[in-house]
Amino acid sequence: MGLLDRLTGRTSSGDPLADDLRAVLSADRVRMDGAERALMAKDASVFGGGVAGPTCFPTSTAEVQAIMRVAAEHDSPIVPRGAGTGLAGGAIPLGAPIVISLQKMNRILDVDEANRVAWVEPGVINLDLSNQLRPRGFHFAPDPSSQSVCTLGGNVANNSGGPHCLAYGVTDAHILAVEVVLPDGEVVMLGGIDAEPSGLDLRGAFVGGEGTLGIATRIAVRLTKNPPAVRTLLLSFASVRDAAQTVSDVIAAGIVPAALEVMDQRITVAVENFVGAGYPTDAAAVLLAEIEGLDAGVDIDAGRIDEIGRANGATEVRRAQSDEERELLWKGRKTAFGAIAQMAPDYYLHDTVVPRSALADVLEQVYEIADRHDVVVMNVFHAGDGNLHPLLLFDAREQGTLDRVHAAGAEILRASLDAGGVLSGEHGVGVEKQRFMGELFTDADMGHQNRLRRGFDPVCRSNPGKVLPEGHSCADIQQLRAVPTGVWG
Amino acid sequence: MDLKLDPDDLNSCVQCGLCLPHCPTFRVTGDETRSPRGRIQLMREVQEGAPVTLEVQEAFDTCVQCRACEPACPSSVPYGHLMEQTRESLAAEGKTAPWRQRLAFRPLAMPRMLRLGSSFLAVAARARLVPRRFGVPRDLPIRRARHTTSGDDVYLFTGCVMDAWQRDVHIAGQRVIEAAGFGVTPTGDVAPCCGALQAHAGLTDHTRALAEQMMAALSVDQRPILVDSAGCGAAMKDYGHLLGTPEAEVFAARVFDIQEWLADHVDALPNVTPLDLRVAVQDPCHLRHVQRVHLATRTVLAPFVRELVELDDDGLCCGAGGAFSVLQPELAGDIRDRKVAAIDRATPDVVASANPGCSMHLAAGGVPTEHPMTLVARALGVL
Repeated sequence: MGLLDRLTGRTSSGDPLADDLRAVLSADRVRMDGAERALMAKDASVFGGGVAGPTCFPTSTAEVQAIMRVAAEHDSPIVPRGAGTGLAGGAIPLGAPIVISLQKMNRILDVDEANRVAWVEPGVINLDLSNQLRPRGFHFAPDPSSQSVCTLGGNVANNSGGPHCLAYGVTDAHILAVEVVLPDGEVVMLGGIDAEPSGLDLRGAFVGGEGTLGIATRIAVRLTKNPPAVRTLLLSFASVRDAAQTVSDVIAAGIVPAALEVMDQRITVAVENFVGAGYPTDAAAVLLAEIEGLDAGVDIDAGRIDEIGRANGATEVRRAQSDEERELLWKGRKTAFGAIAQMAPDYYLHDTVVPRSALADVLEQVYEIADRHDVVVMNVFHAGDGNLHPLLLFDAREQGTLDRVHAAGAEILRASLDAGGVLSGEHGVGVEKQRFMGELFTDADMGHQNRLRRGFDPVCRSNPGKVLPEGHSCADIQQLRAVPTGVWG
Repeated sequence: MDLKLDPDDLNSCVQCGLCLPHCPTFRVTGDETRSPRGRIQLMREVQEGAPVTLEVQEAFDTCVQCRACEPACPSSVPYGHLMEQTRESLAAEGKTAPWRQRLAFRPLAMPRMLRLGSSFLAVAARARLVPRRFGVPRDLPIRRARHTTSGDDVYLFTGCVMDAWQRDVHIAGQRVIEAAGFGVTPTGDVAPCCGALQAHAGLTDHTRALAEQMMAALSVDQRPILVDSAGCGAAMKDYGHLLGTPEAEVFAARVFDIQEWLADHVDALPNVTPLDLRVAVQDPCHLRHVQRVHLATRTVLAPFVRELVELDDDGLCCGAGGAFSVLQPELAGDIRDRKVAAIDRATPDVVASANPGCSMHLAAGGVPTEHPMTLVARALGVL
């Protein structure tokens, strides 16, 4: 800052884009320094090629709109950011975009119990919302494992799932309306709180858009009534196949549990080490099953799951005796990814979905593929809806490991697709699954997706270089990645 | 520069972000440079050669060192030790802990001078000569009651600032332990300071010297050492790690938070009519996240007050953080606002806090606070 600026109280950084952003926000809510940019270049994924521009912390729709207009004037890309817990690199900035952090837009604006809807800002933490609603008899049903951290805006962008989405459906089923700032700065309301909104379901198109369609600034979420009774079972098995077969049989028997989660032995050992919930560390796999409903019904269903489990060779069936025990078991399941560092400093997480009937076979292939590539794999997954999360463990400091991990990952994806599955259940495509899009979709499919995206964002300003692969998306990814970086890049 | 961090410790963070909502500075700023995940990443970058810019320095300086991120971390990243080592390395390079700070810490190990100075401060505070932002209570004592030894069952660690400013809490604690049938030796000037504040500032050599001094003074026998300041207790329980000697490990194992120790002897206290108060328990971070013995406070308090209520903020820091509230007043104030809102929702008559820094910081924010021992002593009628 020059002496003249200091005397006049002006804060000129020499960067016209940052200066214009400061003019519409405030000096302290726009950061352009190397430390901030280094951190904004990353999220929870392993992807390391991001380069961030200025970071903004808006507090209102009007401010997001103002940032968008500055971006348009400077022809600068933007990337929205929630908690940065994404595992597919969706928030990784490509092409030094303006990073728009929605962390400061974290108010619950209105709770309408009669109509079972709440209006929230995108920076509200998923679990904070449910904690606020619970004493009033409600909660927000989608419960991603990162729910204690991740924000509603991120949930909308990724159409996030979670263990309890088996019975309640993923985020899309719980979003009634979204106020969106489009990349040209226009503010639109998509969807509505009426039971049958008229016209095209643009809200449905927006949910899962991974930030490429604009920025949600207000979200109307559906409130779900708290269940009168809950039963939680922990079944131990001598093989992952037995656990997977139990899951298939439970669903085939017409039971719809709230959640059906499987963890293999390696992951169980890691989480038990952290939570001490009494997970059996000698079982090859554990199945965590939860049933919600009326008192009488949940006991009947719990009994049937118990029977089906034993018929499939369950070595032990434990029922949670208290809310504390139940919460501890869930804490274990939900911190599974973070517990990995006990074993290795890096992990690559996949998110494929396969038909439930193919679960056991695909899992066997996953172990076989990992063995062949000399990679340690752990499996923890939303078994009820066939959503696999194979975790490939590695140490990036070891030469050549990352190549083996990528090779194994690619084979796992192909095995899932061959079994009739899809690329991503809930984490999104981001940057990391882009190159596999062509294996799931035809050119015509991706052409249509690109045209839809262009409908929202004709100039490709919002989160460029994501989701659609090169040749089908509007931004040249190579060019985006070629931005030079300094020591604090 | 080389921060001298253990690469395995640094690598034990997989950037999952589960720590973020538990970090008070991230909660009030929403800024990754104010988060444990972000600070660890910056440590890595500095370790790999990135310069320590003003912004990097700020990221480290703004950490309260509450260590709430540690129990939240599924991979048990030793964040507190990483941050202490980072500050020690930066202080050694003269990048942090300026001479004013070093000078300000010096009297902590000089008990007489500290008490004399604090009496002057008390007079000045009454005359309203001390700026409010320093958070010095208006009712600081000018004179203090004498310490007396009642037996040799346990030591009661009296410390530095707390002995000068809140000796009444030591006396309350001592009376409670005596009421349970045990004789108490207040440590007084032979063990003047635990060194916690110095360690937080990166002046670890000072802490090591104070730890050695305390161990020499209190190791004539093996009786338990009770501590009624959560921050001091946490620091003393860490002497094993700090000094890395078997003697220090043995010493650290003798250290108990006073509530932690009393929870095992609560049945020995007489039955009395509870105080007619609704009491909210505020868990000092170094009791809950570091020592992890905060439940004992409830065990000890429950029989002596009408009602105990929990705060709904999941043990988030109050912003005191030793010297943090003086060094980062704005951030500390924002963090306190969240805590005060949580306290308001719990509608207590009084807040029980087992750490002097927290109670003064909250009191400066208009919250009526008492040490749990003071409440128990009052119920027992021994004050």
